Amino acid sequence: MKRWSLLSLVALMAIALAVSPPPATAKDTLVVMQEAEPVGLDLMQSSIQTTMSVCYNIHDTLFHPQEDATVLPALAEKWEKIDDLTWKITLRKDAIFHNGEPVNAAAVKFSYDRINSEDLKSPNKGKLSAFTDLNVIDDHTFTIKTKEPYAPGLYMLGYYLPIVPPKYIQEVGNEKYNTDPVGSGPYRLKKWARGDEIVLEAFDKYYGPKPAYKTVIFKANPEESSRIAAMLTGEADVISGVPVLQRKRLEDSGKAYLTPQMGVMPYMGINTYEAPFNDVRVRQALNYAIDKELINKALFDGKAIICAGPISPRTFGHSPTLKPYPYDPAKARKLLKAAGHPDGIEARLAYPTYMAQIQEQAEAIAANMTKAGFKVTLEPFERAVMWERYKGKKHQLYIYWWDDAPEPDRYMYSLFNSTSRDYYYKNTAVDELLDKGRTVMDRAERAKVYAQIDEMLYQDAPWAFLYVVPEVFGVANDVDYQGRRDGFLNMRYAKPKM
Amino acid sequence: MSAIHDTQASLLEIAAPRLRFMAETLREVARRPSALIGGAMIAMVLIVSLSFPLFYSVDPLEQDLMARFTPPVWQDGGSWHYPLGTDNLGRDVLVRLLYGSRVSLLVGFSAVLVAELAGILLGLFSGYYGGKLDSLIMRVADIFMAYPFMLLTISVIAVLGSSIFNLILVLGLSDWVTYARTIRGSVLSLKKKEFVEASRAIGTPHRVIIFRHILPNVFSPMLVLGTLRVANIIIWESGLSFLGMGVPPPMPTWGRMLAEGRLYITDAWWLVTLPGLAIMVTILSINLLGDGLRDALDPRLRNV
Amino acid sequence: MGIMLQYLFKRLWHTVFVLIGISMISFFFIHLSGDPVMLMLPGDASTQEIETLREQLGFNDPLYAQYLRFAGNAAQGEFGNSLYYKVPAMALILERLPASLELAAAAMLIALVVAVPIGIVSAVRRGSMVDMGSMLGALFGLSMPHFWLGIMMIMLFSVKLGWLPTSGRGSLAQLVMPSLALGMSLMAMFARLTRSVMLEVLSLDYIRTARSKGLKESVVIYKHALKNAMIPLVTVAGMQFGFLLGGTVIIETVFAWPGVGRLVVQAIFNRDYPLVQATVLVLSVIFVAVNFLVDMLYMYLDPQISYFEDK
Repeated sequence: MKRWSLLSLVALMAIALAVSPPPATAKDTLVVMQEAEPVGLDLMQSSIQTTMSVCYNIHDTLFHPQEDATVLPALAEKWEKIDDLTWKITLRKDAIFHNGEPVNAAAVKFSYDRINSEDLKSPNKGKLSAFTDLNVIDDHTFTIKTKEPYAPGLYMLGYYLPIVPPKYIQEVGNEKYNTDPVGSGPYRLKKWARGDEIVLEAFDKYYGPKPAYKTVIFKANPEESSRIAAMLTGEADVISGVPVLQRKRLEDSGKAYLTPQMGVMPYMGINTYEAPFNDVRVRQALNYAIDKELINKALFDGKAIICAGPISPRTFGHSPTLKPYPYDPAKARKLLKAAGHPDGIEARLAYPTYMAQIQEQAEAIAANMTKAGFKVTLEPFERAVMWERYKGKKHQLYIYWWDDAPEPDRYMYSLFNSTSRDYYYKNTAVDELLDKGRTVMDRAERAKVYAQIDEMLYQDAPWAFLYVVPEVFGVANDVDYQGRRDGFLNMRYAKPKM
Repeated sequence: MSAIHDTQASLLEIAAPRLRFMAETLREVARRPSALIGGAMIAMVLIVSLSFPLFYSVDPLEQDLMARFTPPVWQDGGSWHYPLGTDNLGRDVLVRLLYGSRVSLLVGFSAVLVAELAGILLGLFSGYYGGKLDSLIMRVADIFMAYPFMLLTISVIAVLGSSIFNLILVLGLSDWVTYARTIRGSVLSLKKKEFVEASRAIGTPHRVIIFRHILPNVFSPMLVLGTLRVANIIIWESGLSFLGMGVPPPMPTWGRMLAEGRLYITDAWWLVTLPGLAIMVTILSINLLGDGLRDALDPRLRNV
Repeated sequence: MGIMLQYLFKRLWHTVFVLIGISMISFFFIHLSGDPVMLMLPGDASTQEIETLREQLGFNDPLYAQYLRFAGNAAQGEFGNSLYYKVPAMALILERLPASLELAAAAMLIALVVAVPIGIVSAVRRGSMVDMGSMLGALFGLSMPHFWLGIMMIMLFSVKLGWLPTSGRGSLAQLVMPSLALGMSLMAMFARLTRSVMLEVLSLDYIRTARSKGLKESVVIYKHALKNAMIPLVTVAGMQFGFLLGGTVIIETVFAWPGVGRLVVQAIFNRDYPLVQATVLVLSVIFVAVNFLVDMLYMYLDPQISYFEDK
């Protein structure tokens, strides 16, 4: 009797203890752990960071976008401007897709038509809307035209136009392509065990430099602490989403180091169409009400970059003369009073619940605002509701974020041009400048246009400007990998550390 | 004359056994140490949760960002200013735990009341009237049993939005089946008892029979079941909060404290450990009390 | 045999009713919670594009018409494509289901293997230290939120001691913590159940008779008592297994376990209608089927049971 239960207990403990330790990863395999699993592997069908990260290992584009918003050759070998509206681009001749199809001008044309096609519903279609026409000249040359002169053109092509194999896609269709993609990148898909892992293996006929790791495995874990623990136990070689608080711990562990990647730029959007926030003084009061320095020091260990206007201080085109709104609750109250609200204002602050860090910031900001005369009700919404209310103009104040891309047009146009999103703010002068910013080809001239936009919006305060929080990747000590501003985990750049 | 006599008789018939029953119950309950301990513990929790502002009046929302992650007093770096340390925004953990107890207890007990009310009514009607109404109610009960509980509550909250009131309603209305089934069983057996058949024979209206004769007799299983279910509801509430579907901030709840605390698991162990302990102690005392009540009142419920 | 068939038929009819009810509830709630079109399109999509997509997906039809269409397709085993993943919803579920079944089964197994012997010992030595200790332990087990237990285990076994991997699925080591966390309250429940059922059985006449005939105690306990105690145990275990599948959501989140629970919660958040509807239906079918099997087993173990509801 007693023996029985004892036996089962012992057996159980044996199972618990004697199970194999986590398998040590071989030297030619790299395990990357992100926050979420990709939804699909067709770069054209997704705009989600964790999905695109995996995709860029499989798909190549025409150009490699650089940190200063310039480009280097990828599938495109040479390019020249024929006139202000036309580029002539020559492809390299040795590139092939993983299934052997050649990467030629016809494939580029097919890709361009595909991303614009009705039935694909590509979320990235809008990012290429400046382009009007693509014409094949010969097997490896084509021209691409824009309606207006479009300064960020090549940069945008470098991110949003993956070149895909026509024959394969016509054969299998869009749905299957999303699960079994064939690209021309350094890695090909070997196996996708949904919910568990994606295994990529180096493509031996890749035209570019051979990647250092033969196999790359992408895993997903939504729990921050689990990702950190996985890094410390050696289960993962590269992880994304390392919260500020855990960074020191990771560095002190002696097992991993941090490398900067994109910056998250949270902002507090304001519904400027409705009272009381249709009054610029109230909006400025809001800007004076938030103690960004304190939040930076306390929540981000002083590592965040405080923003003056809407353009990130790390992005080309921001105005160097602007000073961030200082924390000044007395001045905020004075402005409120001047605007006819001597007893303060009741405000609703919405934020999405799927980002824990955002909730923390929302609560800290709300506490600040209370001291300056805003009586804040927090409105946490799950993702779908938040987005629906955003588009339905139902928010009063809301916290969202964007990444601080090196190219200002990438977010400024979407957020502030009223032909793009006209949810809470419209300013025709800003609209015109944003349109102009796209067309000025001279870099220095262009920077001036954006600086002007930055200054206008600073004054008009359609947001409460916050800060940029530089994100980091955690990388195991025996791996050499530098994160990039786009935040994509492009493993072709990783190599063993000597 | 005879009418008065009848009334007196029925009053006696109802009142006397009930008094006797109550006295017996108390004696029975008092004989169980587990019930006594559990009862005392939960009484303590209740008293503390209601009266703490008298001796510990700290604002649960007051932030001191520079003092975030202050450890509890007994650890290096802790101070009596924050006896149980601070959270990620520098708020006092002790007072948040105390406020959290209110939410958990409120949601736990109210949801059980809602569930009991719905369950008792449906169970009574189902068992008493039988027939088509009975099959309909029982089939609906089957549906609720087979519908994955967590998914039901999450979808309903997704429609209604999360607030304390909605949470109570949702948790309560998703949990009526056990009560209804138990009641229905009791009613079916009571229906055949002499005193019910007798009052039916003399033409007592149905509602009188249901509410005055039958209801008091199912009181004890309901009390026992309810007590045990409070524990479950509190755990579910914390689970929903954990998934971000519970009582919205800034009101502190144990489940959300736990969910938020797990982000800092390696640096601030107290943020995830203490709310869990608070939940455990509360549930433990409720379970102890429930066990005791069950043994004393209704041993048949042992397998529920 | 006639009665038996009649009973089966009735059960089948009930099952159909339940499944239709469940499909309706899941359908209406998920549709009422907002539509996914906004989420599917980029921020700068025009009203025109939004309308077109809505029309294409059939969201402009009246709700009952949409339900009938869904029910008609579902009856033919067609659940449509997941709006988010863009692959057939059923395929996604079937891919994830083994993971959930594995976790639930492991939790159940651990619970039974530990709890039943404990329950028996406690019953046989009623009032002893072993009994009191294990029942107190069981009470603790019942009182812990399982996700908290999971987090505490990660803190201890993965972060502090480094014995077990934090998350994921594949090796046996990865199964240990999630199944223990999930199984803990079951374990407590089974231990208590086994004990009380055994106590009841051991006090029955035939056990006394067996004892008085001088049979060995172990024979009495295992051959006679345990066999009878199995009946309620099997019933409860079967029911709990059904609940378990729908209740793994949080544990799957904590341990990044690739099961259906996490899939469907994300689907609810994404308003992925087809995926939510299909998952709820699949989980309910499993629940109903397991219960049906348990009932059959019950009849087999105890042939005297009445086939009629009202005793």
